[in-house]
Parts: sequence; C-alpha cells; structure tokens
Amino acid sequence: MRTLVSGGRVVDPLQGLDANRDVLIENGFVVQIAEHIDAGDARVVDASGAIVAPGFIDMHVHLREPGQTHKETIATGSAAAVAGGFTAIACMPNTDPALDSAAIVSEVVRRAEHAALARVYPIGAITKGRAGHELAPYHLLADAGCVAFSDDGSTPRDARVLRNAARYAADLPHCFISHCEDPDLKGDAVMNEGAASMRLGLEGSPGLAEDVIVARDLLIAADTGKVWHIAHVSTANALELIRWARSRGVNVSCEVTPHHLAFLDDRFEDYHADTKVNPPLRGSHDRDALRAAVRDGTIDALATDHAPHLLEEKAQLLSAAPVGFSGLEIALGAYALAVQELPLERVVTLLSVKPARILGIPGGTLSLGSCGDVTVFADRAWTVDARLFHSKGKNTPFDGMVLPRRAVATIVAGAVVFEHGRTLPGEEVHA
Amino acid sequence: MAPRSLLDVDDLNPDELVGVLDRAVSFRDALPPRDLLAGVPVLNLFFEASTRTATSFTLAEQRVGADIISFAPGASSLGKGETIADTALTLRGIGVRVIVVRHPESGFARRLADAFDGHVVNAGDGTHAHPTQALLDLMTLRQEFGRFAGLRVAIVGDILHSRVARSNIVGMRALGIDVTLAGPATLLPDAFAVDGVRIARDLDALLPQLDAVMMLRIQRERISGGLLPSLEDYTQRYQLNRARLRALPHGAVILHPGPYNRGVELTDEVLDDPRSRYVAQVHNGVFVRMSVLDFLVNNAPVPA
Repeated sequence: MRTLVSGGRVVDPLQGLDANRDVLIENGFVVQIAEHIDAGDARVVDASGAIVAPGFIDMHVHLREPGQTHKETIATGSAAAVAGGFTAIACMPNTDPALDSAAIVSEVVRRAEHAALARVYPIGAITKGRAGHELAPYHLLADAGCVAFSDDGSTPRDARVLRNAARYAADLPHCFISHCEDPDLKGDAVMNEGAASMRLGLEGSPGLAEDVIVARDLLIAADTGKVWHIAHVSTANALELIRWARSRGVNVSCEVTPHHLAFLDDRFEDYHADTKVNPPLRGSHDRDALRAAVRDGTIDALATDHAPHLLEEKAQLLSAAPVGFSGLEIALGAYALAVQELPLERVVTLLSVKPARILGIPGGTLSLGSCGDVTVFADRAWTVDARLFHSKGKNTPFDGMVLPRRAVATIVAGAVVFEHGRTLPGEEVHA
Repeated sequence: MAPRSLLDVDDLNPDELVGVLDRAVSFRDALPPRDLLAGVPVLNLFFEASTRTATSFTLAEQRVGADIISFAPGASSLGKGETIADTALTLRGIGVRVIVVRHPESGFARRLADAFDGHVVNAGDGTHAHPTQALLDLMTLRQEFGRFAGLRVAIVGDILHSRVARSNIVGMRALGIDVTLAGPATLLPDAFAVDGVRIARDLDALLPQLDAVMMLRIQRERISGGLLPSLEDYTQRYQLNRARLRALPHGAVILHPGPYNRGVELTDEVLDDPRSRYVAQVHNGVFVRMSVLDFLVNNAPVPA
C-alpha cells in the first residue's frame, strides 16, 4: 500500500523542516520526502493549502472500555481521535476493571487493533484497582503494551506506596503520570475555590489541592529517580514547582488541556455541570500562566483529558453529575483559539514530538523510515456541533463556538483513516 | 418569554425590590382581599425540613387565596438529575403555576426554574440563596430606619454556609447599604471581600460603628468538620453577649434569621434586649411572601 500526501506545507521540527513537500508512505513507513513525487498509483491525499505534520498524539484519553461502554468504546473513541486529527492516543486505566492486569491490557490492545483507526496505547495502573494500596505488576503490564503508569483520578494518598511503586518500577523507562488533587483539600468540590464559588454557594477546590500533590510527587520523583509526568496542570504554582524540580535535575514533563487554556471558573451561573471537571477550571491568574507556559516551553504536551459521558449524566444536579467532557474532536481548534499565533513548530512539538518522546512510542517525525502517521490540518474556521461527534460523549464547553483550526486528513501507518469529514475504518464503527 | 421567578434578590431590580417591600408594608397595614391569587395552584416543594419558612409561606399563600399543594418529598427521592425536566413538565401538566421550593443543593431552584414553565420562588437552596428571608430583613431595616443608603450593617458568623448571608449581601449592596462581614477565616474566607463588601475579624472594634448587626446560627458540625476548635473559642471572639451589647449603639438593631442557639452566637440577654427585632422579622416574613407571590403572578413586567 502506497499513500502520497501531496502539496502540503510539511512542518517537522525534528528534521528542521518547514517547507512545501510531498510525503510518500509505503507499507506503513515514510519512504520519500521531496518537493514533487510522482507516485503512480498511490492513494493521494490532497494537502494543498494545509499543513502536514507527524501524527498528533493525545496522551490523556478516557475510552471507558471495559466497564462503561455506554459512555464510549475503544472503537468510538478511536473514531473520535482520528476525526480530531490524532493518529495515536494513550488511554487511562480508570476503566472497570482497571487496567491493572496483563489480560485486560491485552484485550484493550486487541480491540483497538480490531477498530483499525488510531493507535491506542494503554496506560497501566500504579496500584491494583487504583486503590492506592498494592503495587500493580509493572513489568507484566509493560510487556502487554502499557506505555506509562498512572492511578489517574485517584492519586495514591499514601506517599509510602507511591514511593515504593516508583522504586520498584525504576528500571522501566515508562513514566509515572500524576493526576494531582489532594482528596482532603478537594472535599466534595464541584468547581474552583474563589470568589465565584463563594458567591454561588458551591464547594470549591483550592489550587492548593493540586499544588501540594505536585510538590509531593516531584519530591518522590527526585527521591526515586523515576521519570515523571504531571497531567493536566491547572495552576501557576504547579508550573513553578515543575520549573524548580527541573532545576534540581528531576526528569519531569507536563501537559495542559484545551479547557484549562480556554476557560475560567465563571461558567457555573446556571448550576449546570457542563464545565465540571477535575482539576477544576481556575481563575485568570492561573489560566494566563498556563498560556504563557505553553509559549515558553514549560508545558511539554497538549492533551485533552477526553472524558466522555452521556448528556443525561451531565444533566444531573451539579453534585451528582460526573466530571469531564469530550475533547478529541475540538482539540486542534481549541488549542489554536486559546493560544493564538503559536508558531507551527511549537504546535507540532507539543502535539507530536514531545508526546512520542514522553511515552517512548513511534512517531514525532516524518523522517525517512519513521512510521507513516500523518496529521493534515488547516486553519479553517468551523463551528462546533457536539451532536456530530464520533464520540458517544456529546458534550463540550466548546459546543457552538467557532474554532480556527481543524483536521483535514488523518493517516495511520499509511492508511487514510479520516478524510473529508468522515472516518474510514477497517470495520464499521457505530458512533 | 419565561415567567418571572425569584431565585435570588437580584432577580428584582432596585425599583422592583422597593416596590415589593412597599406592597408588603401595605399588606401589613391592612390585609388585602383573599383573592390576589384566587385559583392559582401553588406547590410547596420542600426537600429539606423547614418550620418557620414553610409555615410563613403557607400562611402567605392562604392570605392571597391560592390553591395550595404541599409536598415534602425528602431530598433523595426526587429531583436527582435527569428527572428535573420530567418533574417540571409533569407539574406544569397537572396545572401548577407557582412552585415554592427548598432544596439542600445550591442551584436547585435555578435548575428547576430553567425547566419549569411557571414561577419558581426559592425558599432556600443549599448555601446559595434565601431571597424572601433577605427581603424580610430589608423590610425590617426600613421599618426601623426609613432608608437603606449609608446604613452600616454587619453580618456575623458562619457566612460560608449561609444562604441568608449571601442573599442579604446581594440585596443590601443593591440598596447602598454598607456591609461588613465578621467571623473566623474558616467560616468567612477572604474571597468574600468583593463588590465593596468588607471583612472584619474583630467584632468588638466593629460593634460601636453599626446601625444593625445580624447574628447567624453556628452549628456544632463546624467543630467535627474541623472548622472551629470549640464553641467556647468561637464565642470568646464572636458571640453577642451582655458585654458586647454595651458596645452596640442605642439606636442600633439586632437581627437573627433563626433558629438561634442560645448560648452560642448570642446569649439570653440579647433576645431580651429592646434592640432585638427577631419577632418583627418573622412577622414581616408573611407579608413579604404575599407581596412576592402577588408581584410574580400579577404585576411583574416580563422583560422584552
């Protein structure tokens, strides 16, 4: 199988390339990049007027399978991914059962291959059942396909357990990913703590809840030498702590979400759970610090924390409604809206180069011989209509907004899996 | 356009607010004919126990001639999530035109009003708002002073958990009252200091400057919740007692939304003090609620 991506502006930071080029993929790998390639009978993707980048990777996605397939499945989540321009996604272990055994991880990998859309990389649990007590079998999980470890929303309360986990897994290159929220400081909060929560009579979670766990986990990283990644940073203090840790030689990366970059904690006037999310949307001081950190390189990766739920679940009272919302299909446009005029070289670094490096997976470049994963995107305005999502999660705070960028085509291992607004799966996908 | 509701005091503009109070005063002076809401089905939907507010609303509804339905579903059995819209549709179908609702979760009244094609009167939602309580407090203040602008009022105690405090802050600021909040930082975070509202941690220094002081109830759960060390420690700083009554000007008044805890936020002497207005407050409550119902159903201009 040969696929030619023709006529686009290729942005590949690892090659120092930013120029109009054709890219030829053969048998799943990049075999030629040139100003003009005559590829005969190759499948041609017309990228004229668009940008051609090494495939985008979303390293923070919830696929809900196994256990909550009414919210999402590996197949629908993969369809959402390629529709959003992502060739690869890493899925969090907060499934039911959790991704804490080789058997379950192997099944996730098998179902992702069956869906034949995006590459799906499981993230294994740090503790069994994500319960924070017993260590998960890291080496078995790695052999089954896990690319990182995290207890996701249930950060281990017991620092001794987390320290021992990091020490035991220190011989593996896989990073530990921390979702940083102190459960005691957070309490039953539904939003950020601040003037808005006080006025609305809603319980708020202070930025401090994030900061103390970021500090703790960075110190555990320093103590154990484990490679670490901080998920969805939402506070200015957390960024400062990460910079401090790096200055002390700690190997730590971090990510930020589109919603934390775009929105503030001022969206609860109607007491609807549309923007209920962990960690919560913060105030302008934190939001502005996140935007600056994307520009200055403190932030390594952009990640959606795609967390699909049914509309009727999100329509419950604030206290009962689940946290999170769909992110994959708005991500490229949302990033471009929230952090405007970001150089394309930085965009590709944040969405492809760094996620590939952090997770130790193929991609991040279109150099000869690299995997044939390509994202073609364009700066074309479009209006979000969440009802049209491939994801089963049809709610997003970006619904109805005009976004300035979107995916045009998505190519995985040379196979065109999304083009002209349609996913083109190997199997039929029920969105 | 959706029918008007009263979810918090700021659903009324200042002119409307004064108008509702004026009409409440006229009702207090002479009861109107019992036909202002004749034949209008009003549902009292109390998911949370209430003695004074429910009684006061019921009497107000009787005095305007409404058809009254009272229902205490208990917090867990109804209104949990996806059923809000269905519940609202059902109630409207039955013929209910006004719902007076109390619920333990902040925002419930708003969620119900967004789904209900009728009037919603918030009788207390979580820690968010209790607008008719604030209106009766304002009515009591005006009865006393004849004006709002420039009055110096302090609200003392557990502001964080008080819907009464929140609604009073909104209403008092809209009418030009100088509002100071007093209490320990665990019950009164600095984030309340917005929109001209001041925060004080020293009640003794504050009392001589006041026209009115509103004492909020302190609940013992704040000790087990780790927000207060002991009632003794709290009362040493914030209880209104014999000594502090001496610091309060002669012309000032003392308000309390009730139910009060004798010996905690106030002592027996406070309730016996001629400046205490607790009885006037609850008395005014009935007329304020009559006036609110009359305004929403009969008089409220619907915004274009």
